[in-house]
Formats: sequence, structure tokens, C-alpha cells
Amino acid sequence: MATVASRAGAPRARGRALSTVSSRTSGRVLTTALVLVLGVFILGPLLWLGVRAFATGWTYPSLGPDGWTMHWWQAVFDDPNLVSSAVLSFKLAFVTMAVSALVCLPAAYAFARFDFPGRRFFLIGLFATNAFPKMGLFVALASLFYTLGLMSTFIGVVIIHLMGTVVFMTWIPAAAFAAVPRAYEEAARDAGAGRFTVLRTVTLPLALPGILVALIMSFLASFDEAQGTYLVGSPDYVTMPTQMYSLVLNYPPQVAAVFSILLSIPSALLLLLVRKHVMGGQLAEGFQIR
Amino acid sequence: MRPTPTQSTLKHRLGGLALASPPLLLVTIFVGFPIVVAVAYSLGHTGGPNATVSLIAKDQVTVDAWWKQSPGAYGVLLRDERFRRDLLVTVLVSLATTAIVLVLAWVIALYVRLTDTWVSRLLSALAVIPMFIPVVIASWVILTFYASDGFVRTVADQLGFTAPVWGYTTTAVVIGLVWTQLPFATLMVVSGVQGVPDALIEAGRDAGGSIPRVVWSVVAPMALVPTVIAGTFTAIGTLGSFTVPYFTGPNAPKMLGVDMNDYFQSYNLPQSSVVMAVVVFVVASGFGAVYVWANYRSSASTGRV
Repeated sequence: MATVASRAGAPRARGRALSTVSSRTSGRVLTTALVLVLGVFILGPLLWLGVRAFATGWTYPSLGPDGWTMHWWQAVFDDPNLVSSAVLSFKLAFVTMAVSALVCLPAAYAFARFDFPGRRFFLIGLFATNAFPKMGLFVALASLFYTLGLMSTFIGVVIIHLMGTVVFMTWIPAAAFAAVPRAYEEAARDAGAGRFTVLRTVTLPLALPGILVALIMSFLASFDEAQGTYLVGSPDYVTMPTQMYSLVLNYPPQVAAVFSILLSIPSALLLLLVRKHVMGGQLAEGFQIR
Repeated sequence: MRPTPTQSTLKHRLGGLALASPPLLLVTIFVGFPIVVAVAYSLGHTGGPNATVSLIAKDQVTVDAWWKQSPGAYGVLLRDERFRRDLLVTVLVSLATTAIVLVLAWVIALYVRLTDTWVSRLLSALAVIPMFIPVVIASWVILTFYASDGFVRTVADQLGFTAPVWGYTTTAVVIGLVWTQLPFATLMVVSGVQGVPDALIEAGRDAGGSIPRVVWSVVAPMALVPTVIAGTFTAIGTLGSFTVPYFTGPNAPKMLGVDMNDYFQSYNLPQSSVVMAVVVFVVASGFGAVYVWANYRSSASTGRV
């Protein structure tokens, strides 16, 4: 770059330097404003609610709460309904994640490594089913579930949760498998390793970040699902997000705040775990059909 | 030893199809089949798999033979002013959300691409945070933040003026949807813009192009596909969204996701609910077509098709 600048001649270089100084100050103001606005927009609501979990009360238009207390936390932990819904949410999320992985990971491998008829069509088809509004689906599913005896059953709820994970669980790992250089696999095979050994020792470890992202995304999708769980599971299977709907209406806002924090902890922890891979493009890569 | 291509082709292909079939079967049974059933129901078929739902439903349009179709249920809804208004609002909210999300994602992506400072890292980290928060919670925090006794009104009051109440308005719905959709779009666009090689940007600069000019003619075309993907997912995700408008939106106009829920559960009109779902699906397919086209275009240009 330095050579280019010196070749451009002195007057032009000085002009550029001057304009850089003025644009740098205005740039700095703009940057600060952007960071502030985005910060308040994203974090503001979370902090505003977070503080509420420790507040005795809040009188408008005061900027802070009336007083501080841990009472609401006790209230939540003492409520057997809330605790049991938390346990159920975790159970469902783990089962959904495991079943989804079992069903989708071999398929993801196939989409990446086999060239079978209709491959592209099926990949897009998986996505297309996602475009049909969930509510319309549930109306039609209700009949099917009644017929199959799946209404108000654990399996019924798992199936509803699975629907929200299939696309993630197939697409993201498929992209991760496809990104493993074939040369590595071929080298291992030439060295005498069997197909399965190659998969276990070469392909899987290299595709692991993508698989991990997909696993966590489907865990969270299950942890987040409320509408279908309510329709299929209630009143026997009430998860944390479903509980949230009634909480907001029937409990003091502080209880909902405590519950919100509790409900966000698993998501936050899990996503922090794969933050590097999510930001590094594993997720983005998964959504470009190859 | 590797089998020769002729030996492997058929077995290989069938093996691939067999491996890929479990999720396809799952989706066919529990998503594909219900969609067909739902479309049939919307056209007046109340028997067969729809018998249970239509047993107690009110005001249904029915046909008396399987080969007949009736657009009656669509007619009823399309003549309903309330539905037309809600459809319009749903599409507008979806388009507005998509536009805002894409602009924000692009601003952040350009910061990350052109300056590698703590500011750019902070911006991209901020934009991804909503992904860590369940949607139910997100809707609830957005509502309390913009409510009549929320942060925005409180701060405005402290500064001596009155801010509008956005809680339970369509504005809050757009804010909530932007909040929840921003992470995905940002990840897609940042990844796309990061993929533009340094050499190309520097070449553009050396040729005398200003930063906006280089962004417009070098970076933008190369990041078009991830942008379209982000846009499509945002648009489709918001069109059928339920949780955010349910918590933060007004009683009227409602978004169709909320209407579908009300018509099914509160008004006992499952057929209308299904008709809405089909209408939303048709609109979403329009957005989806753009996505497929963009993917196909990128594959064709890199010779993968």
C-alpha cells in the first residue's frame, strides 16, 4: 500500500490524508452512535427484565426498582409446577436432540458424499416443508395424532419437537461433511483403513464442529418450542416455554422475570460452548445448498 | 481397494438414498402428509383424516365427493375485510422486518470486513446475542421494555418529554421480530462479506474506487447469495410467526400466525385457520422461490450443477 501512495504523488496524498482525518472523527462519532443504539436495542430489554427478578416492586417513572429482594427466586423454586416443567423441558430437549441426530446425521452424510437421484430436490424439500405455517400443520396433525393415539403422549410431543430440528440437523452437518477434503479420506483408505474406520477417525472428527452446532441448535429448538407442545401435550406435558404463556398472565412480573432468566441459562451456556463455530460460519455454511 | 465407477454407481446411489431416507420419511409422514390433508380440508374435504377435526367445527364449506373441490372457504375469508387487513399487515410486517434486518446485518458485516477492531467484534457479538434467548422470553422482554411503564417511556419521562407507548402495537411486533431474526441474518451476511478476498477489495481501491463504490460493485455482488438466503429465511420466518406477535401485538390488526391460532382454538373455525395457513404458504413459496433461484445461480456460476 505504501508504494501505491508514494506513486500517487504528493498533492493527492496530502488531500487524502486531510480527508481521512475529518472522516475519521465523523466516523468515530457514527461508530459510537451505532454501538450505543445497537447495545440499547439488544441488551436494554434483557437488563430491564433482569433487574425485575430482584425487585420488590417498580413504580413508574422511576429508573430503578423500589427495593431489592431474593423472594421471587424462592417463590419459583418452591412451586412444584414450575420445577417439574423445567425437568420436563430438559428431558424433552435431550430426547429430541438424540433422536434427531440418529435420524438425520446418516442422511447428512449421504447428502454430502453420495450422488443419488433427487438429492437436491430432497434437500430443498426439507426446507420447503418449513415454509408451511406451523399452526396450519397442527390443525391437520391433530387428526393424525388422535388416530395414532399420540395426543397427550411423550412421543407425540417429541415428534412435534423433531419437526423443528430436521432442517438444522440435516443441512448443517451435511455442509460440514462436504467440507472434509476427500483427499484425506482417500489417503486413509489407501493406507488400508476400512470405510467405517475412515468415517470414525477422519471424517467425523473433522466434521465435528458442524455437528456440534447442529446438536445444540436442535436442543435449543426443542427447548424453545411452545405452541405445538401446548396443543399436543397439555395438560399432561407442560414445558417451561408453555408455562411462560400462563406465567405472564397469572403471576407477578417478577416471577416471570426469574423464570425467564432460568429459561435462558441453558441456551446461553450451550451457545457459548459453540460460539466460535457459529460465528466462524458453520451455521452460515449449512444454509447454502450445494 | 476402491471399486470401479461402473461397479459402484447403482449400489452407491441406492445406498445414499437409503441413508438419506429416514428424515425424508419423517418429514413426509408428519409434515408432508398433514400439508396435503390441510390443503384438502381447505378445499372442502371434511372426511377421512379430517373427520376428527371437522366433527365439532363450525361453519365449514364441504364437498360431497372426493373429486370435487370447493374454493368456498377461501371465498368467505377473502371477502372478510378483517382477514384482508390482517393479510396485508402480515405481509407488510414481514417485508419491513426483512428490510430492517438486512440493512442492520449489512452495516455490521461491512464494519467487520473493513475494520478489524474491537468495535467490529463488539457489533457482531451484540447482533448474535438474541440467538441465546428463547423466543418466548424475547417477546416478553421486548414488551416490558416498550410498555407504558417500560424503559423507553421512563427515560423519556426523566428527560422531560413523553414517548409513545409501543407495547401492544404493530411497531412492537416489528421491533420484536427484528430482535429475534437479527442473529441469523447477521451470521449469513457477515460470512458472505468475509468471503470476499482482500485482493479484490484492494484492487478496487487502487483503481481509485471510494469505499462505497467498492462495496457496491465488488462486495455486494459477491455477497448477494447469502443476503438472499438471509432475506428469505427472515421473510418466511416472520410470515408465519406466532410467539412475537402474540405477546407484543395489538388485538387488531393481528398477524395471521395469531389469527390461525385464534380461529382454531378460540372461535372453533379450524377450516378458516387452515385456509390462512395455505395462503401464508403460497406467499412464503414466493419468497422460497427466490431462495432456490439464488442457490441455483451460485451453484451454476461455480460449476457445481
